[in-house]
Amino acid sequence: MAEDRGETGGELEEPEKPSAGPGEAAVPVADLLASLRRLRLAARSVRHAYAFPLVLFGLLTLAAMPFYLQSPAPSGGIQILAVRGGQPQFPLLSGSAGPLGSNYNYLGYYWLVALTGGLLATMYWYRYHARKVGLSTEARGYLVTLGVLTGLAVVLPVLSRFPAFGWLSVLWPGDLMIRGTFPFLIIAAALCVLAWAERSLALGAIAAIYLGTALLASLYDIENVLFRLGWNPSPGQWRLTSLPNVLLPALVLLVAGTGVFIAQRRQRRAA
Amino acid sequence: MTRHPTNGLDETVHQRHRLGILTITAEAKSADFGYLRDALGLTAGNLSRHLTVLEEAGLIEVTKGYEGRRPRTWVSITSEGRTALAAEIATLTELLRPQDRGAPRPPSPVRTGPEPEPEPGPEPGPGPEPEPES
Repeated sequence: MAEDRGETGGELEEPEKPSAGPGEAAVPVADLLASLRRLRLAARSVRHAYAFPLVLFGLLTLAAMPFYLQSPAPSGGIQILAVRGGQPQFPLLSGSAGPLGSNYNYLGYYWLVALTGGLLATMYWYRYHARKVGLSTEARGYLVTLGVLTGLAVVLPVLSRFPAFGWLSVLWPGDLMIRGTFPFLIIAAALCVLAWAERSLALGAIAAIYLGTALLASLYDIENVLFRLGWNPSPGQWRLTSLPNVLLPALVLLVAGTGVFIAQRRQRRAA
Repeated sequence: MTRHPTNGLDETVHQRHRLGILTITAEAKSADFGYLRDALGLTAGNLSRHLTVLEEAGLIEVTKGYEGRRPRTWVSITSEGRTALAAEIATLTELLRPQDRGAPRPPSPVRTGPEPEPEPGPEPGPGPEPEPES
């Protein structure tokens, strides 16, 4: 395979002429086009490296679950949605203060670190993969999308606190941010761009499903479905009721990433 | 008079291996010399010749570098290369159409062998070797 080829600077020094001579049989046009298609598909298959960001962001989402635990319900089971500790530092990353209680600021910091770390890890991964297989992917658009959206999510709320930039608050996506799930939408947008860069229909489908899941998690309390299915949380379990909104997007990424990883591994072994 | 599709074939591009090089590099941001050599089943010297032809035509760019002490050569397609490849594929596809309809084959087969033998010039091929890292 392409690994460990051990090229040297002498690779260009053989004074050979190209192999096919004028007497070589002409390849029928249809065969030529078919062989070019095979080359293209083989290169694409080898180049694809998107299982890693899927699994990575799935794991980062799972790791965020402790920050999504709700504040303990007071006796009597009445949940008080009170603002504690003032305004959230990064409302687009942490959501608005509410059932998360004092966790929301930690959640904002967590996502800032997780998204930045995920960006850097993915960048390193694509470089490593390119060196390993000998084909590189133009992942710049994905990285720029992830970086810019994360940066905007941090900077815009801070800017809007200044009177001159107060109008920026009209940009807030309202309902999309109250549950602290807006980072899922940032990841979804980046995955859509990555699907384009990877020229992968499979990743496009995964990104679309994930986007749908992220929107659902942002706009709807998924635990209601579990309640209908018979889950009746005890007062001690009440803190867990916001976790389905986090678990579902995480599972989509983890299942898809693992499936893609296994499929690509099989495909490369068969090739 | 209708122009025959074979007139649209580019002498530089339509050689089979050069088409392969352009096809692979169009699929990636850049392709490693070793990947191209293995995928196309060419010797290093042979691939180097084809790369020189394509580079001189402005269809690809060759970048040499080091990974540690190991030299690596990366090949990327230029926008002219993409255009030429698309035109070539379109022409080849066009050539297929009369055959699909049962019409006579084009007067000359598509040449898949090499172009006139490259001149034996000084080696190495494309681009200067970078200095080794200290």
